[in-house]
Amino acid sequence: MATITNETASEYNTTGSSSDRMPFLLQVSMMTWRSLLTMIRTPAVVLPALFISGFFLFVYEATLGNAADGIPGLSSDRYLAFILPLSIVSASLSGAGIAGQNLVRDVENGYFDKLLLTPISRSALLLGQILAGAVVLAIQTIIIMGVALLMGLESETGVAGLLFVLAFAVIFGTGFAGFTVGIALRTGSAAATQGANFAFFPLTFLTATFVPVDLLGGWLKTVAQINPITYILDAMRSVLLTGWEADAILTGVIACVVIGGIPFLFALNSLRARTRRQ
Amino acid sequence: MSNREIVAENLVKHYGDVKAVDGVTFKVDDGEIFGFLGPNGAGKSTAITMLTTLGLPTSGFASVGGYDVVKQAGEVRRIAGVALQDIGLDPIMKSMELLTIQGQLFGASRKEARTRAHELLEIVKLADVTDRPVGKYSGGMRRRLDLALALVHEPSILFLDEPTTGLDPASRRDVWEEVRRLNTEKGMTIFLTTQYLEEADELADRIAIIVEGKIATEGQPAKLKSDVGSESINVMFSDVDTAQKAKMMLEDMVDRAQLDRKTLRLYLPNGATQIAGVVNKLNEAQIEPLSLTLTQPTLDDVFLQVTGQRFEDEKEAEKQAEPA
Repeated sequence: MATITNETASEYNTTGSSSDRMPFLLQVSMMTWRSLLTMIRTPAVVLPALFISGFFLFVYEATLGNAADGIPGLSSDRYLAFILPLSIVSASLSGAGIAGQNLVRDVENGYFDKLLLTPISRSALLLGQILAGAVVLAIQTIIIMGVALLMGLESETGVAGLLFVLAFAVIFGTGFAGFTVGIALRTGSAAATQGANFAFFPLTFLTATFVPVDLLGGWLKTVAQINPITYILDAMRSVLLTGWEADAILTGVIACVVIGGIPFLFALNSLRARTRRQ
Repeated sequence: MSNREIVAENLVKHYGDVKAVDGVTFKVDDGEIFGFLGPNGAGKSTAITMLTTLGLPTSGFASVGGYDVVKQAGEVRRIAGVALQDIGLDPIMKSMELLTIQGQLFGASRKEARTRAHELLEIVKLADVTDRPVGKYSGGMRRRLDLALALVHEPSILFLDEPTTGLDPASRRDVWEEVRRLNTEKGMTIFLTTQYLEEADELADRIAIIVEGKIATEGQPAKLKSDVGSESINVMFSDVDTAQKAKMMLEDMVDRAQLDRKTLRLYLPNGATQIAGVVNKLNEAQIEPLSLTLTQPTLDDVFLQVTGQRFEDEKEAEKQAEPA
């Protein structure tokens, strides 16, 4: 059965007592915990993103690492730090799909309806999935970094730099998780949600994927300059390779807000659209 | 003020050109079991969707427990328990987890929610399978757990959308028993949709037959049945002559007597109380019938009368009386 809610009534007309309603933050944390539980029990959903990213890191480093001496501004011993952000960003992109897929699963098996029948806040329902996705993204990023460290990664800014990259990846990925959640709400279809997720995958190649953006030429350079991922990669790379550079970090943060914030608004809007339709 | 009534006034739900619910009006009283009976696609589930706040009406008004389902949806959710036709369970979670989350969302502390969950699992007889993921449950077990979820916050009004569809007869009986218990012990008002005549007959104090989005008729099952026609005592004799003779004798006792070859059909309002009289008369005249049955009008007859068609898959419900 279609799953539509009565948003107006639940959110704006809560005239009744609020004492028998769970506090909002508690609702969110419970929904997050519950989503994490289901993710842990279906590792097949979580592991592929991690595997692919680890694989990229390994293969790119192996194929391009030795050639990096020929790339201006890079050297073979620094190439790992250059390619790591790419691996992390692509992991975030594919990892972000988990939140949307989890939501579709709930819609399909009817549990979403069951939750809508409780006095739960509608935003808590979304946030739970998205935050659980964020936790998975964080764990995934930490694992990839761990692998990179084992491969000999050296961060110019030390542990603080790594934490910065981690935060960046999680914020960016969480925003993107909002996008997949939005698609899930609009379509209620697992295939569409997965498809929408993969549609963004090329973005990680239409950017300074393997070499700095200055070395790109022609149309690819133009596209890369528009692609917000370029600036996210730049920020991460500069922190790992050269140190705290205000410019790179600032543009990176703006790019992160754009690519993370817009999808998030899209998700909220999708929830409203879905709740009004029926 | 909150009460335990359900009211629908000219409730309408259109999906594009499809009039799923097309102007439905009814009132369910405090503590009543109200059956919404209709074939597939009649609009039963759509009506429940609106009453339980999952969907907005196109027009019309409905209130549950005195709360407007549109403007006071939050209040409706708090007092109404809902078990939808499509069971809403996450298959990779466990019963205890589902019940605890549900309880907490309704404002219980974790501890309270767990205590309540244990109680409910006992009630729906699932206490011994708590470590199994719900996905491994049988259809009947899932249905019972779904019912338990609907009861977590001790609702005063319970909505059950086709609670026994797809269940085997034994599980169906279990559900019926539980519904009756909730109604009598807790005084819950129960709104039940069903596509089984037998279920409506068995459980409901009052039923509405819904066809193509409209209520075709409404009333107590017994009243509806007696309105549609009286019961008949059917007596079969060894030959036509005897039957003829019996007809002459018994005609005065009943509303109408009809001879169908060797079978005499006696139409009358209270068949069961009249059987003895009929048998005595036949005894006095030393006429021995071959068989004697009492046929009651069924909801199927009611359905036939109001819709002009028979309810699908419905077998003749005949009560057999032993020959005297």
